Amino acid sequence: MLRKLLKHEFRATGRIMLPLYLVLLATSVGANLSTRGLLETDNRLLDILGGLLIIAFVVAIIGVCIMSLVVMVQRFYKNLLQDEGYIMMTLPCSIHQQVWSKLIVSAVWFALSFAMVCLACVLMAFDVSAIQEILDLCQELLHALTGKYSFNAVAFGVELLVLCFVGCCVLCLEFYAALAIGHSRPSHKMAWSVLFFFVLQFAMQMISSALIIGLDESAFYYFLMDLTDVHLSGTAAIHASLWFLSACAAIYGAVFYFLTTYFLKRHLNLE
Amino acid sequence: MAVLECNALTKRYGKTPALEDVTFAIEPGRIVGLLGPNGSGKTTLIKLANGLLTPTAGDIRICGTAPGRATRSVVSYLPERTCIPLWMTTRQLMDFYQDFYRDFRRDAAEEMLRHLNIRENQHIKQMSKGTREKVQLIMVMSRAASLYLLDEPIGGVDPATRDYILSTIISNYNPEAAVVISTHLIADVERVLDEVIFINQGRLVLQASVDEIREEKGMSVDELFREVFKC
Repeated sequence: MLRKLLKHEFRATGRIMLPLYLVLLATSVGANLSTRGLLETDNRLLDILGGLLIIAFVVAIIGVCIMSLVVMVQRFYKNLLQDEGYIMMTLPCSIHQQVWSKLIVSAVWFALSFAMVCLACVLMAFDVSAIQEILDLCQELLHALTGKYSFNAVAFGVELLVLCFVGCCVLCLEFYAALAIGHSRPSHKMAWSVLFFFVLQFAMQMISSALIIGLDESAFYYFLMDLTDVHLSGTAAIHASLWFLSACAAIYGAVFYFLTTYFLKRHLNLE
Repeated sequence: MAVLECNALTKRYGKTPALEDVTFAIEPGRIVGLLGPNGSGKTTLIKLANGLLTPTAGDIRICGTAPGRATRSVVSYLPERTCIPLWMTTRQLMDFYQDFYRDFRRDAAEEMLRHLNIRENQHIKQMSKGTREKVQLIMVMSRAASLYLLDEPIGGVDPATRDYILSTIISNYNPEAAVVISTHLIADVERVLDEVIFINQGRLVLQASVDEIREEKGMSVDELFREVFKC
C-alpha cells in the first residue's frame, strides 16, 4: 500500500515541482548567457535583459525552495485534513503509511530541489571565468585546510548534508504534528495549528536549552572533555558533533511523528 | 452475520452527545434508509462506521470486525460532500480507485461515465458541481463492496440528478451487500428502501421494514417520518 500511496503522491506533487525545475534550469541558461556577455555590451537594452535574466534566475531558486516547503505543508493539510481526507482516511492503509508517504515524498522533493539548485548554479557558472576563479580559490582553501588541520572536507560536507536532510524531515514532521493537533480542535483549526507550531517550536528550544544547561559541568560533560583530550582531535570532535546533532534532530522527529500519528488516529476531526 | 452492527454505541463531542446508546444490526442484501432530521447523528454514525471517529462507548462492527484498515476494503463510502481530488482527470481517478480497491470494477465505471458523456481525460475541476457528485458516486458504486455507506447522496441536487443517482445505486450495488442511505429527503428515497432506521437527537427511534410500516401503520415512510419528527 505504501508503494501505491507514494505513486499517487508523486503524481500529485510532480505536476507542480517538475515544471518548476524546468523553469529553474531555463533561467540558469539565461543567467549564464547574461553573465557571459549580455551585461557587458554597449547596448542598453541587452544590459537590461541581462539584468532581468539574473533576477529571474534568483527568483526561480527562491521559488523552488519555497514551493518545496509549501507543497510539503499543503499536501498534508489538503489531502489528509480537508475534504480529500474523507477519501484518503478511508483507504485500506494505515495512518503510518499515510504519514510515511507524505514524509518520503517531501524529503525526495527537498533533496531533488537541492540537487536542481546545484545543477542550475553549475549551468549558470558554466564557462564563466570569474566564477571559475572563485571555485579555484575555494578548492585551494580546502586543500590548505586538509593539509594543515587534517580536515576532511568531503566527510564534513556529507555530514552537513545529512544534518540538513534530517533537519528538513524534522521540520516536515513538526508541521504535520502542529496541523494534526490543531485540526483535532472543533473550530479555528488553522489558527490552532499555527499556535501549536509555535508551541512545539518553543518546547523544542526550551528542552534543548535545558539539556545544554543541565549537561554543563555534569558527568557527561567531563566524559566528553576526557574523550576530546585523549582520543579526539578538534576536527574529529566537529565530525562527532555533527552526527550528534543529526541524532538529536532525529529524536525530535520521532516525537513529532508520534504526535502526528496519535492525533490522526485518535482525534481526527474532519469537517 | 450482520454487515453492520452497533451495540450501545455512544459518541460525545466533549460533553455534547451526538449518539446515545444506539443498538441495531443490518443484514446483507438490504437497502436501509438512515433517516432523521438535520443534526440527528446520521453523519456521526457513518463516520464511526468508517473509522473516521472513535466511539466514546459501545462498539460498532463491520462484518464482525471493528472499523479499521481491514474493514475499509469492504466498505464503499460516499461522503456528504464532494471529496475527489479536483486536479485529477477521470482516468487518473479510476487508476486511483483501481490501485487501492481490489473490488473496483473499472469496466462498470467506464460504462457509466460513457453514459454521462464524461471524457476520461476531462479534469474534475472542469466539471460542474452536479457532474462531480455523479463521478464520485460512480466511483463508489463501481466497487463490489459488502457495505455501501452513502451519506446524503441526493442532498443539494436537482430532481433529475436525484433520479439518476438513485437508479445508479439500484442498478450497480452488489446484491449480497447492504446499502445504507443517510438522508432527510424521505419521499425521494422511499421507493428504493427495504428497511428504515429513524434516528433523532442521537437516539434510535425505530428500525422496521418498509413493508411493515405500510401494512401495520397504514402509512408511507414519509408520512410516518413527518409524524414521528413533528416539530
